[in-house]
Amino acid sequence: MTDPRLRDYRDATRRSTSPDFTTKIFSGIGVDRYTSAASALGDVYIAWSARGLSAVRLAGDDNAFEAWYAERFACRVVPAVEDDSISSAARAKLHGEDVEVPIDLRDCSPFERRVLAKAAEISAGSARPYAWLARELGTPTATRAVGNALGRNPVPLLVPCHRVIRTNCSVGGYVFGAATKRELLAQEGVDFDALERITRRGFRYVGCDAGWFCLPTCGDVATRVDAPGYRLLRTAAEAHAHGLVPCRLCRPIAA
Amino acid sequence: MACTCEVTAPDADADLVQALAHDLERSFERVVIAYRAEVVSFVARMLRDDARAEDVAQDVFVRAYRALQTYPVQRRAALRLRSWLFAIAHNLTRNAFRDAPPASDSLEYDDGAARPLLDGRPGPEQLVLRSEAWGYVDDAVARLSPALRAAFVLRYVDELSYDEIAETLDQPIGTVKASAHRGLLAVRAYLEKHDD
Repeated sequence: MTDPRLRDYRDATRRSTSPDFTTKIFSGIGVDRYTSAASALGDVYIAWSARGLSAVRLAGDDNAFEAWYAERFACRVVPAVEDDSISSAARAKLHGEDVEVPIDLRDCSPFERRVLAKAAEISAGSARPYAWLARELGTPTATRAVGNALGRNPVPLLVPCHRVIRTNCSVGGYVFGAATKRELLAQEGVDFDALERITRRGFRYVGCDAGWFCLPTCGDVATRVDAPGYRLLRTAAEAHAHGLVPCRLCRPIAA
Repeated sequence: MACTCEVTAPDADADLVQALAHDLERSFERVVIAYRAEVVSFVARMLRDDARAEDVAQDVFVRAYRALQTYPVQRRAALRLRSWLFAIAHNLTRNAFRDAPPASDSLEYDDGAARPLLDGRPGPEQLVLRSEAWGYVDDAVARLSPALRAAFVLRYVDELSYDEIAETLDQPIGTVKASAHRGLLAVRAYLEKHDD
C-alpha cells in the first residue's frame, strides 16, 4: 500500500518515550545504573535508581565500585548508556549548578536521614560543628551518632557532609580522607588559616558591631575578624554583654 | 534529553543478541534504547491511548528482562529480538484491552474478527472533525478488530516481515497474511469511502 496517507499515519502516530522511561524499567527489574561525572574531586561514579541518586564514589575501578554497591545495597549496578533527568541533575549539581537532585537514601535510618537533611542545608563556603547538628536535631548528646551518620552518607558532595567539622575547627573524618575534606572546604572559600588563628586563641564566636554574633565558620566571617566593627568573643555571655544577638543563619547557641 | 526514534537494522541485532546472551544486565539498556520507540508506537497504535502506552511499553521491557533471566544462554543467543519483543507487546496490549477496553469503540471489539470494519455508523465526533488526511487512516485502524489491527499495523505500519509477524502473533504465516490483507482491504475501503 503506497497511499501517502498511510505514511503520514505512520509518522503522525510514531511515539517517543519520556526521558525517564528506561529508569522506570530498571526500577522494575531491580537493577541500578551508574556513570561517571566530573566533580570538585575529579571524576566520580554516580549511581541512581528511579527514586533518586543513590551513591557517589571516587571513580577508578569499575569492579570495585560494583562490588561495593552490591555489598552495601544488595542490588546490582551496571554502567548506564544514557543519562536521564536524575543523573543529568546530579551531573549539573556536581558541576556547581544550583539544581535539586532527588536522593535515594534507601538504606539510611530515619535518624541518618535527618542528619543528612540538616547537613544539606549548610551552604558552600560555610561549615558547622558535629555538635551543632546534634543540637539542631534536638539530640544534643548525639554528636558521635551524627558523625557516624555523616560517615555513612551514600552521596558525598551532593549531600555536603564535608561541611560538618569539629567544634575546634579541625576537619574530622571524611569518606575520601581528611585532607580531601579540608581541600574541598578551602575550594569553597573556608579560610582554615583564619579559623585556626581564632580557635587556637580560645575564641568561639565572632561578633559584629551591627548587632549579632556568629560561629567562626559562618560564611566568610572568619576572614573579617581584623576588619573594623568585628570582635572575637570567648563566650556567649561576652556577646550578650556587648548587646549582640545570635546570628539567625548559624544559630551559634541553643535557642 | 530528546528521545529519537531509532531505526534498528537486523545486523545490529546480531551484536545485541550476542551481548544479551553473555551479560543480560549490562546489555539490557541497549535493547531498551534500540526498541523503545518501536514498541511504544506499536502499543499506542494498538491501544490508541498514549498515556497508557508508555506504561504498557515499560512493562514489555520488564517482562522481557524477566523472561531473559530464565533463558539459557543458547536460547538467548538464538533470539529473534524484534518479533520476540513485539510478541510480548502484543500480548500485553491484549491484556490491556481486556482490563480496560477503549470506550469509544468498545462495541466493535466483540465480534470484530468477523466484521473487520463497521461502516454506516458515525464515528466519535473528534474523529469526524479531524482534518489531517492521515486521520482517516487512524479512524479506519480504530475500527479494525484487535486481531486485524495487529496484523495490519505490524505489516503495513511497522513493516515487519510475514515471518516476524507470524512469530509475533504466534499464528501460521497463512493466517497472518490473510489478516493483514483483510485489514488492508478494510482500511482502503474506508479511505475510498471518505475520498473527496
